[in-house]
Amino acid sequence: MFAINSYFSLGYLLLFLPVSVGLYAILPQKLRRWVLLSSSCLFFWAISGKLIAYLVFSVFSIHHIGVWLSSIQQGCDRLLETAPKEERKAIKAQYLKQQRGVVAFGVIIHIGILLVLKYTPFFAENINTLFGALHIPVTFEIPSFVLPIGISFYTLQAVSYIFDVYRRKIQADRNLIRLALYMSFFPQIMEGPICRYSDTAEQLWEAPRIRYENFMFGSQRILFGMMKKMVVADRLNLLIKTVFSDYPNYDGFVIAVSAVCYTIQLYMDFSGTMDIVIGTGQIFGIKMPENFERPFFSKSISEFWKRWHITLGTWFKDYIFYPLSMSKPLKKLTSHARKRLGNHFGPLISGAIALFCVWICNGLWHGAGWNYIFFGLYHFTWILLGNIADPLFIWITKKLHINRNNFFYRCMQMIRTSILVCIGELFFRANGLRAGLTMFQKIFTDFSLQTVYDRSIFTFGIDRYDCLIVLVALSIVFIISVLQEHHIQVRKQISKQNMVVRFAAYYALILLIVVFGAYGKGYIPVDPIYAGF
Amino acid sequence: MERLIEILEEIQPEIDYTTCTDLIDGHYLDSLSIISLVAELEEEFDITIPTVDIVPDNFNSAENLWTLITRLQEES
Repeated sequence: MFAINSYFSLGYLLLFLPVSVGLYAILPQKLRRWVLLSSSCLFFWAISGKLIAYLVFSVFSIHHIGVWLSSIQQGCDRLLETAPKEERKAIKAQYLKQQRGVVAFGVIIHIGILLVLKYTPFFAENINTLFGALHIPVTFEIPSFVLPIGISFYTLQAVSYIFDVYRRKIQADRNLIRLALYMSFFPQIMEGPICRYSDTAEQLWEAPRIRYENFMFGSQRILFGMMKKMVVADRLNLLIKTVFSDYPNYDGFVIAVSAVCYTIQLYMDFSGTMDIVIGTGQIFGIKMPENFERPFFSKSISEFWKRWHITLGTWFKDYIFYPLSMSKPLKKLTSHARKRLGNHFGPLISGAIALFCVWICNGLWHGAGWNYIFFGLYHFTWILLGNIADPLFIWITKKLHINRNNFFYRCMQMIRTSILVCIGELFFRANGLRAGLTMFQKIFTDFSLQTVYDRSIFTFGIDRYDCLIVLVALSIVFIISVLQEHHIQVRKQISKQNMVVRFAAYYALILLIVVFGAYGKGYIPVDPIYAGF
Repeated sequence: MERLIEILEEIQPEIDYTTCTDLIDGHYLDSLSIISLVAELEEEFDITIPTVDIVPDNFNSAENLWTLITRLQEES
């Protein structure tokens, strides 16, 4: 009953978290960091057992690589202090080469482990299919590995640490415990946010005292996240599972509704989990980076990805997109293309090459499957098309005297973006690329409102009562999102009210979860979706 | 500074660059616009902008960009 297998499990919410917070609150500052580290190890062990060895290896290796890089940098600096000006360039180049070798070594180790554990079955399967098609009588056995929890997240943290030391954005940390805390902090290990060393390491080491305001705000955010997950995401799960696993038996309208419901579910599940993660961090006094910024208010796909899974997007931007697009060959290409194609389309070529790599990686990061690669390329296409067509849209709207900042124009842009996102999520959730393509096709070729007329749509997993509850919960999320979009801090506003209003709001939220949460008999809670990546 | 504003307006019009202080955080410039901007700035001001300097702080306003340009010019 009290198993700890997710941030929503009773074992975590009623036992693990309160005990960790309690111990953290009563112990002196020097021992608090040990509470965080031992809780983090225990949490990892409870879910992945002996696979914690992978995490320990990661911590030791980035510690060693950081110190190694630092010693090369110090050696270089010492030489540069006394070297004549004409020799400096050669010295810098020599030491840079050494550093690049160390970085490559570190990145190959970390990405290599991730590739082997997560992608070997996918590659083996595809090679077997290819050999079969070419009539080559060789078949590879398809291995299967058990993945340690959060490997896709902490690997990116490890790589960012190596790069940041190499770029001298941060000093190499010689303190193994601080590095271990940065890599393993339990609220974020399962689903992120993907933190940089400069975001959290020092805060975790400082282990600040629990403050009343932080405790209250953090707890409220945890409750809000539980509401999103248990009232909305879990309630929609039965419909989504039913339709996506048996799509040939449903018409285009039901499939379209399911795609929209899945998009809502994914957002409520992931952003709800982030509320719990960031709320827990806030209780401990640790400020973590936000992962969502009301993505469905985006006016383009490009903007959507700046508001959705922000820490993954910025990771790809900082460690893949800019290094690639600013590399010597692509810079050369940009400067040639600019002379021929102008300042808008010229840089677009190198940008598109870098963007293509980013989206292939983004798709594959989410999972080893062709539908995930398609998902990545789908977003790549829309971002690129958006950029190519942007001058044309500006010209057309100017000619038609349409104000692009007009409320209705912006609403149309938001609706268009949301529809494109829902289509992408349909492929993302489908059981394979072929299933996704068939489902998408059915929306147009087999569209019928029959299930609405005969009310059978309410028999596929959610009834009218479920719909009403979901709509009420979504309305609450929408109102709060609109307020946040206008820079109104909802929790601060509530805290300014008198005690009756304040506690009425808190109890209403608790009641909403307890009474309308989709748990118990007849419901299948959705597995933490992003933890699977 | 005037030339910088002109370059910014060529890349993304409809923004008042003299007052806007959240070009990146407010989602006015996306990563492809930044590549255009970096290419143009490097040519116009004869500088090389390293990847490590492509951070929101440096690109959020025309003023911050100008500070970055002058710093890189001094360093080169």
